[in-house]
Amino acid sequence: MNDREKAGKAWADSLPGKFLLGSILPALLLFIWWLAVRSGTAVVPTFMEVLDVLAHPFQVPPDLYSRSLAFSVMMTMLRLAIGFGLGVLTAVPLGLLAAGSRVADRILYPLIQVARPINPIVLLPIATVAFGLSSIASVVVGGEDAWRHDVWDQVQLAMIFILWWGAFFPVFLGTISGARSVRTAYIETMRLLGASRMMVLRKVVIPNALPSIASGMRIGLGVTWLVLIAAEIFPGTRSGIGYMLCTACKTSDYQYTFAAMLVIGIVGLMSDILLLRFERSAGHWQSRER
Amino acid sequence: MSVQPGTGSRVKGRTVAAAPFLSIFNIRKDFLTRDNQTVRAIDDVSFDAEAGKITCIVGPTGSGKSTLLRLIAGLDDPDAGKVSLHEALPAGSIGYMTQEHSLFPWLRVKANIGLPIDVKGESPEERDRTVRKIAGALGITDALDRYPYELSGGMQRRTALGRLMASGSGCWLMDEPFSALDDRTVHQLQRLLLKLVSENGKTVVFVTHSIDEAVFLGDRIIVLSAGPCRVADIFDNGLAHPRDRLSPEFGRLIETVRCRLETVIEEKA
Repeated sequence: MNDREKAGKAWADSLPGKFLLGSILPALLLFIWWLAVRSGTAVVPTFMEVLDVLAHPFQVPPDLYSRSLAFSVMMTMLRLAIGFGLGVLTAVPLGLLAAGSRVADRILYPLIQVARPINPIVLLPIATVAFGLSSIASVVVGGEDAWRHDVWDQVQLAMIFILWWGAFFPVFLGTISGARSVRTAYIETMRLLGASRMMVLRKVVIPNALPSIASGMRIGLGVTWLVLIAAEIFPGTRSGIGYMLCTACKTSDYQYTFAAMLVIGIVGLMSDILLLRFERSAGHWQSRER
Repeated sequence: MSVQPGTGSRVKGRTVAAAPFLSIFNIRKDFLTRDNQTVRAIDDVSFDAEAGKITCIVGPTGSGKSTLLRLIAGLDDPDAGKVSLHEALPAGSIGYMTQEHSLFPWLRVKANIGLPIDVKGESPEERDRTVRKIAGALGITDALDRYPYELSGGMQRRTALGRLMASGSGCWLMDEPFSALDDRTVHQLQRLLLKLVSENGKTVVFVTHSIDEAVFLGDRIIVLSAGPCRVADIFDNGLAHPRDRLSPEFGRLIETVRCRLETVIEEKA
């Protein structure tokens, strides 16, 4: 590498360099946006109109069925947390079981390998038929009174099911591969110390599997995020970012559609960064191990 | 090839030791190769490890030294013969240290040392106190909060020694624990090991490929032959500690063991 290349690399790594280089494509995008607005199409709102929506998150759109941006974001996050959380909570123990027991692996493997490639969105129609309008509220307090618990009534079981589906497989497979990659020497160390199987699991298998559980979670979260927005656009929902985006499109309030798209991108990015951090801290020892 | 009295004596076959800590009787171990052929790795090996003494095992590469140590540790079962301890010991009372991968990379040094105490289920306060004491004796107090990958090779071995001490085990099985280090560090660790063993009265079975190491550390040196592994010779090393590497007695014993090892290798060829 000559001096000029070195200087270029150093500048690209500096703060102003990162900022300027990172802004090129967004600036280009804004320019195209500006061109589109100037062309006079009704579909593209101005930048200020979208900013206005984002600046007033509690403002309810003119359309009767919509809720405020803040409420929509909250509903989406609630569904995500429940669906994704259930996925992780089931996938990790089952993955550890499959990695630790040949019998469990033989039982789980065939079904899981067939089920894994099925796109969760494909399951939404059948899940909607199977679960009907059942929600967390209707399961907990019964269908009659479910409407009194508006928020929980809008966390539909059908949606939880497909989110669980989207999160389960990446986390399950990550857990299995992480748990199987344990060095025999570590397990033997524990055996010689007289450790029980539970102790080996807690002290060796889980810490060893954690980095790949975290990468599985990152993939799983990416999948559930895509699936969730698509599912909210489906008929039968009454809230959420996807729902807002879709209804605003129908009523030609495109500034809400654009604002929703931006929020989806930003929330998706932030959650990915959060899990990336978890992944890095869980696996700090991996890259530097001899 | 006789050795002068007082500097080391040569004993044929198994000796009846005054106070053996563990005895190995006629151990045999076979392995299956990929194409289903039986290969004898260890054939009829017997020896004693005396209590409070260091027994060094040397042999050509691939002679099954590590396999032998695994059998003693109980990590593998022999196909014939037996390993017997002369005291009934509870689980976790045999310490085992290998060349690498004995530390858990996701645990800090203090947690690595404290692992045996955690497994026993003692209180965290008790554990921290013991870990501090051990770290002080090993000179790694400053490294307690670091991760193994942040340490030099020598510090990593010290940490592994710390774990052995924390296990409270009376018997340490060590499989080339100081290999792949520079000479100066190796010599430091050897002196440290001698100090720990004599202060705490440990029984050590020490596998090494270095004759110098065996003569410096061992009270008894067992020379193995290769393919299958048999006891070729046993040397008792009576040199007084601290042993002087430059003394003629030290050099003579090294030469004696080296000659024996050479004949073992030639016999096989």
